Amino acid sequence: MNVWETAFLWIALALAASVVSVRLALSVALAEILFGVLGGNLFHLQPNEWVNFLAGLGGVLLTFLAGAEIEPEAMRQHWKASLVLGFVSFLGPFLGAMAYAYYVAGWDPNAAKIAGIALSTTSVAVVYAVMIETGLNRTPLGKLILAACFVTDLGTVVALGLLFAHANLWLLVFVTALAVTMAMAPRLTRWFFRQVGVHTSEPQIKFILLLLLMLGALAVKANSEAVLGSYLLGLVLAGTMAQNRDFLHRIRSMTFTLLTPFYFLKAGSYISLSALWGAAGLISVLLAVKVVAKTIGCYPVCRWLRMSHRESTYTTLLMSTGLTFGTISALFGLTHGYITQAQYTVLVSVVIGSALVPTIIAQAFFKPAIEEQRAVRTEVPKRASLVYEEG
Amino acid sequence: MYSRILVGFDGSAGAERALNAGLALAKALDAELHVIMVEEDLPKYAATIGEYDEVKQQRDAYFAQLERQVHLAAQLAQVPVQTHIVAGHEVWAIVDFAKHHAVDLVVIGHQGHSTLHERVFGSTASSIVAHVPCHVLVVK
Repeated sequence: MNVWETAFLWIALALAASVVSVRLALSVALAEILFGVLGGNLFHLQPNEWVNFLAGLGGVLLTFLAGAEIEPEAMRQHWKASLVLGFVSFLGPFLGAMAYAYYVAGWDPNAAKIAGIALSTTSVAVVYAVMIETGLNRTPLGKLILAACFVTDLGTVVALGLLFAHANLWLLVFVTALAVTMAMAPRLTRWFFRQVGVHTSEPQIKFILLLLLMLGALAVKANSEAVLGSYLLGLVLAGTMAQNRDFLHRIRSMTFTLLTPFYFLKAGSYISLSALWGAAGLISVLLAVKVVAKTIGCYPVCRWLRMSHRESTYTTLLMSTGLTFGTISALFGLTHGYITQAQYTVLVSVVIGSALVPTIIAQAFFKPAIEEQRAVRTEVPKRASLVYEEG
Repeated sequence: MYSRILVGFDGSAGAERALNAGLALAKALDAELHVIMVEEDLPKYAATIGEYDEVKQQRDAYFAQLERQVHLAAQLAQVPVQTHIVAGHEVWAIVDFAKHHAVDLVVIGHQGHSTLHERVFGSTASSIVAHVPCHVLVVK
């Protein structure tokens, strides 16, 4: 296939995924993964060099956007509780899944580490969407859970960025550059944004790309993962980004139009349907391991934080969800040769399952007291009433 | 007979008929009228909060427009109304609201899906009828 034929095929799948996601009110990421599965298994969709680059850049920007979505104020208000809850939410499944993969499933140490990292995640976006529907996002409990999700994902990207890095001079250079960039980026970004303003040539987006690519280049030199720098940069720029909503919209549009489709289609294309059928048992067990490990880690902390049994179970189940970072971790493992395609299939299937199953159970059986949430979310416009009182 | 009436409203022709019926009933019975609008096509299992939020903002703008429409209709009918915009599943949002606000009567419009569609997916109206703990008026 020539370059245009390849591009045509990938964009056709991306378009189909977009349309399906809009029609079914499903995340475009999930739709792209599913279309990637179809493409990979039915049309032998094969990522080439430039697809890999676009996909990689998509992953970097996606991670940056995920980091930039944190509410710094919520994190400041609940930093102690969110740090504890987020950390145990990462550590429990990281150790549990890694131990199961290594001791029971017989995976090699690196593959077991990837399993631990991929299943340690929490999907902030899935949790956020559920909270909007329950009204929890406006309560202190909701803000605490969301802040804890960011901490969990931080644990995931740090583990991904450091566990496989080579302890050499490049790692030192990367860590130093990362620390300096994190310290300087908020002020520098605000200054640069003021200098250039909004323009069709998007100097603001190019500036952020420059920082991300510099960190990515150094991360790869150290055999680390570019998403570590991206996520941390996103976190430190979250306050700046909150004041530049329009910028976020523009960079998000660019990312979701041209980059992440390649990323998620590629992620889906590596899922082997034949391996999927053969590993259904392992997928179920690993999903259970993730949820149980999250429960062992999170539930006692929730109770310690004086949440009721219902709230604790609900929180624990929401913390068991995963999608973006789980996929990123599994893809990192596959592209670096730490896991096989069959193991990748297992991990991504568990990750997708963890986006669905715990959410459904939490919503169906453990939704916290509705009255309180409804009272918050229920707005009672008085315009009509006032008109009659006046009339 | 009914002191608190809830109308499910999504801007469709069937929902408009339900709203008119709800307004007429509330006026005749001097009942408290609530109108619920459910944002149900928000992306599930999003990859980032932004993906969800952008669609939510679009839906908020659309439903704010519907809310104005409801208030205008209420002013014309001279019936006080309270509107509620919630995110979630259409059926469960209405059922939850009816349960937790002691609603006596739910008024909904008939959507008029094909027989095949209703056989496969069931209708919103029949699901609401099956689950709300009060009377339901389906307006055709």
